[in-house]
Amino acid sequence: MSEKIYGLIAEFDSPAAILHAAEKVRDAGYRRWDTFTPFPIHGMEKVMNLGHSLAGWFSLALGGGAFLSVVGLLWFTNAFDYPLIVGGKPMFSAPMTFVPSYIMLIMGGAVGALVGMLALNQLPRLHHPLFKKPRFVLASRDKFFLLIGALDEKFCETETRKLLEAIGGAHIEIVEDEA
Amino acid sequence: MNPLTTNPSNPPKASLGLGILPVVMMVLGVILCAIGALKSFHLDGGVDFGISWLLAFMFFLSIALGTLFLVLVHHLTDAGWSVGIRRFNEHIAALLFPQLALLFLPIALLAPKIYSWMTIDPATDNTVAAKLPVFTKPGFWIASAILFGIWWLLTSQLKRWSLKQDETGAAECTHKMRFYSGWGIVAFAITLTFSCILWMKSLQHEWYSAMYGVYFFASSAWVALATVYILTVWLKRRRVLAGVFPDGSFYFIGLLFFAFTLFQAYTEFAQYFVVWNANMPSETFWYLIRENGSWWWVSMVLIFGHFMIPFFILLPVAVKSNAKVVIPVCLWAWLMHALDLAFNILPAHHPEGFPLRWVWLQLGCFLFMGGFLTWSLAKNFAKHAPYPQRDPRLLEAMGVNLNVANDLAGSNPAEASR
Repeated sequence: MSEKIYGLIAEFDSPAAILHAAEKVRDAGYRRWDTFTPFPIHGMEKVMNLGHSLAGWFSLALGGGAFLSVVGLLWFTNAFDYPLIVGGKPMFSAPMTFVPSYIMLIMGGAVGALVGMLALNQLPRLHHPLFKKPRFVLASRDKFFLLIGALDEKFCETETRKLLEAIGGAHIEIVEDEA
Repeated sequence: MNPLTTNPSNPPKASLGLGILPVVMMVLGVILCAIGALKSFHLDGGVDFGISWLLAFMFFLSIALGTLFLVLVHHLTDAGWSVGIRRFNEHIAALLFPQLALLFLPIALLAPKIYSWMTIDPATDNTVAAKLPVFTKPGFWIASAILFGIWWLLTSQLKRWSLKQDETGAAECTHKMRFYSGWGIVAFAITLTFSCILWMKSLQHEWYSAMYGVYFFASSAWVALATVYILTVWLKRRRVLAGVFPDGSFYFIGLLFFAFTLFQAYTEFAQYFVVWNANMPSETFWYLIRENGSWWWVSMVLIFGHFMIPFFILLPVAVKSNAKVVIPVCLWAWLMHALDLAFNILPAHHPEGFPLRWVWLQLGCFLFMGGFLTWSLAKNFAKHAPYPQRDPRLLEAMGVNLNVANDLAGSNPAEASR
């Protein structure tokens, strides 16, 4: 089993320190990097240039799909496959389909949001390279971590390490991944 | 204008900044209304003047009731973000009396022409007899007077204590406003339901719909939120609310506006669906009339213009605080709400289709009432401070996090030092 490098991780003591560090990493031209903090840090989303989550589109697609498929189902069963008069109503009409298909729209939307969120986060997964770092537990306590991924075009073990040192990172370590 | 440095004994004043626009609207409106009244009385004894006036009246009534709701909810939820915009909401709500009560007088006088049940003998019509004693001429006038009376009490007291807090800064004022909001929200729900049934739904008194009050409430809140969004952007541009309403708070108005877009459509659809599902002639006739002629197209415009288009435009998160997108939707909401009311009011006398030949008279009524009410609003607004000066949650509204206890923050020192 060979070990390959996943990235370089550095530790910071305060929200301000990691925010300024993140600015410098961005300015240095890195693209594949991430920060891990115990709580959301104001302004970080701008520094990291994060847009809105795409989960909403999953929600829209699944919700819309569920809506239309129930409309289709009602049309198929009531008006096409086995036409049945109920309460003197037309075989098929818009008000008739709205309530059940609307319910399914809500469910489809909720499922879409959940599944979309999991898919975009590549979850569920059993292991993550960072879990091997004992100090990483502190990311949910009082430490702030910045990781530069080895997949980044600019990644170079020595240069990246120098950058992390220059911007004030402590405990700079290599994160290994099992290939 | 920095609220922290203003002197409570000499509060800042600001004008709405509309200049002579309200007066111009009033003059144009009066001319159109006068011609319309003459023509209408000559042609049909004043029916068309009456229903055009009623249409415009219900439009402005719904805005005033909607803002009253926002003020009540502000106090009931002990909201912080909306302190800055509460004052002009109080002013608009206070237009319910005497301004809107005065504007109601022509309707009260023309009522026997507008409402067919007034000239029907209850002995021959069970749908009128079932609604006695309200559905008699004195009943109608007394009920209307009671409605305005309750609104007058509620709006004038909410405004009075709010203004008093500008001077004293006392906690008592907040407690009083909460007291009025507590029973006020119940009184509001009952009076709003009663008003729309008495003045609008009774145009076709044979009809039943338990959704009608909720529908009118949702529409009122919707159009009021559109108005509030426009006024807030306008007042912020004029630097009147600059300090007390941060840009981020527009999201909250936008979100409420969006929520009521959906809720209004829900009530309107639920009403239709219940009637459609029960399929009883005593209920379906109301909708059957509204499928005639151009009313069919009006209903289609409402489905798409009142709900679908605003819904999808307002759906994205970022849009709700983007005035460039929301303001056109708000202006559109005014038009759609007017059309929705027309869909409710006009078919009673014009079952054949939308009375396009009277559009200029409807426009005249809207211009006159809009001008008169805006003129009153501008006058009241300029008379007092443009936002509550010493509300305990003013700092919260400003987005300032002050951990030091002082008069403005309103927190108690023991809590703040923890």
